[in-house]
Amino acid sequence: MSVFKHEYSAYEGRVTRRWQRIGVLVRYGLAEAWSSRITVGLFTLAMLPVIVDLVAIYLANNAIARIMVSPGAKFPLEIDAKFFLRVLSAQCWLALVVNAWVAPRLVSFDLADNALPILLSHPISRFGYVAGKFISLFSILSLVTWVPCLLLFAYQAYSAPQPWFGANMHVGFGLFAGSLLWIAIVALLGLALSSWVRWRMVATGVIFAAVFVPAGIGAVVTGILRTRWGLLLNVPVMMTEIWQRMLGAPQVMKADMELPGMAITLVLLAAMTLCVALLNARIRAREVVRG
Amino acid sequence: MGVIELQGLEVRLGGRTVLNGLTGELRGSAIGLLGPNGAGKSTLINTLLGFHNPSAGVARVFGMDSRHQRAQIRERIGYMPENDSFIGNMSGVRFVRYMAELAGLPSGVALERAHEALFFVGLGEVRYRKISTYSLGMKQLIKLAQAMAHGPRLLILDEPTNGLDPMARQRMIQTLRDIRAAGSIGLLISSHLLHDIEEICDEVMILKQGRLAAICNIEEERRSHRNFIEVETVGQIDAFCAALRDRGCECACFSAGRVKLVMPDTIEVRDLYVAADQHGVEIRRIHRRRDSLEDIFLRAMDLEPARGELVRI
Repeated sequence: MSVFKHEYSAYEGRVTRRWQRIGVLVRYGLAEAWSSRITVGLFTLAMLPVIVDLVAIYLANNAIARIMVSPGAKFPLEIDAKFFLRVLSAQCWLALVVNAWVAPRLVSFDLADNALPILLSHPISRFGYVAGKFISLFSILSLVTWVPCLLLFAYQAYSAPQPWFGANMHVGFGLFAGSLLWIAIVALLGLALSSWVRWRMVATGVIFAAVFVPAGIGAVVTGILRTRWGLLLNVPVMMTEIWQRMLGAPQVMKADMELPGMAITLVLLAAMTLCVALLNARIRAREVVRG
Repeated sequence: MGVIELQGLEVRLGGRTVLNGLTGELRGSAIGLLGPNGAGKSTLINTLLGFHNPSAGVARVFGMDSRHQRAQIRERIGYMPENDSFIGNMSGVRFVRYMAELAGLPSGVALERAHEALFFVGLGEVRYRKISTYSLGMKQLIKLAQAMAHGPRLLILDEPTNGLDPMARQRMIQTLRDIRAAGSIGLLISSHLLHDIEEICDEVMILKQGRLAAICNIEEERRSHRNFIEVETVGQIDAFCAALRDRGCECACFSAGRVKLVMPDTIEVRDLYVAADQHGVEIRRIHRRRDSLEDIFLRAMDLEPARGELVRI
């Protein structure tokens, strides 16, 4: 590219629309995330279970393969809601790992060198900034969760005899909705915690801790007090219950330990509200010192 | 239409009134914002950018309200903050391009102007290096490059020469003078270094304790050819100064018996000797000199403006 040295003048040409500036944040966020080899490695790791599941679906629907694997007996693997619950759970927990690595990369670089005053001095709002980072994270986590899950579902629908798809459409919906809910929770959690922790590796650890430490405390509360309400601190248990209900899979927990849907919804809403409050407090061009 | 208009602007932060009833209009092509530390210079800039909402009054940039039209204002402004503010992990050209795209430039144009801006500020040779490896002076320049890459109508620079060695400082001042000379971009420079402001700006706004102490057009002052007289005296000068003020002189007293005054046409130097004799003051030395920004600033600091009142210089 030729570079012209000239007297600097105001720009009079075409400008992009304001909503497109969020797209700029998304593009640079994605580039930042994928510039790391570890991101590529984690993504590859997250695809391994999908390949195994793909082979399982193929075997389950191929008559010759069924005979070869278990001649004269019932094929050991049934492709149903329970199978897809296991697929969704595996992908969502891998998505948490990807999120714990990527979310700090999206935010910490901006905060480490105090870039927010410059970023927000451009025609982009605080909401736009967070939305841009959220969409970047959403895109990456989608590639690990609902996209492969729905591709597997589509392949099963294609391979299985026709009534299967009609009878299991709710599973496809459950895979999509369950993934979206999980992405929303972990992406908000990742961005909120990354905005408060300046060091990326520490932020990664804090994201894991935010999920599993309360779960441990909840298990202790449940064990000591012999109450199911301690499970409300246990995100893995709550999410498994939600996914199971969305997919219409068989009950995982004992009946007396089952949590009411309303209680789970309220806890998750409270957690997401807290994350939004953390972001609102931290994503500012200027901090105001009280007193 | 002025570049910046303030009408009773009041900003309260953390329970404190930081800006108190600022009223004034600035029309210069290079405006200096002066004041001691804590006077409210950075808060005023942050308010113009829409980072802080006024608790009362209005601040306008190019006629646009900073509270309701912040996006439109930001499209027309380039901002260089006082402290380090960059993405250290990015190369210089990528960072400047990113900022230009956020300002609304299409991707290709942003890349082209990023290269040009970096060459303009003198970072052309290091534009592919990560910013975290830059020296302090380079970091100041990359902030300037990102502020001007999208071709704003007004550059807001908060302490642009902070932390620079003399050569880098001179280079920054020369760059800003070049921008001013080009004429299509206005400058608003906040600094407590009077010399920097005097070299670059044609108009100054002086803040003191959150209030507007003075607005002064340096160019007009320079053009007015008013001769100022500096007198070195021995003795009690308070009564002497009061007598000169009664006769229509503008008078500022300093330590060690130094008095700076502006004489109206009706007063002669001889009258100074008469007044000195009457008040028991010995005049040891008189010399005529033109008013400097330092004098304007010191007088503004001497005077105590009331809320919303503008002190005439």
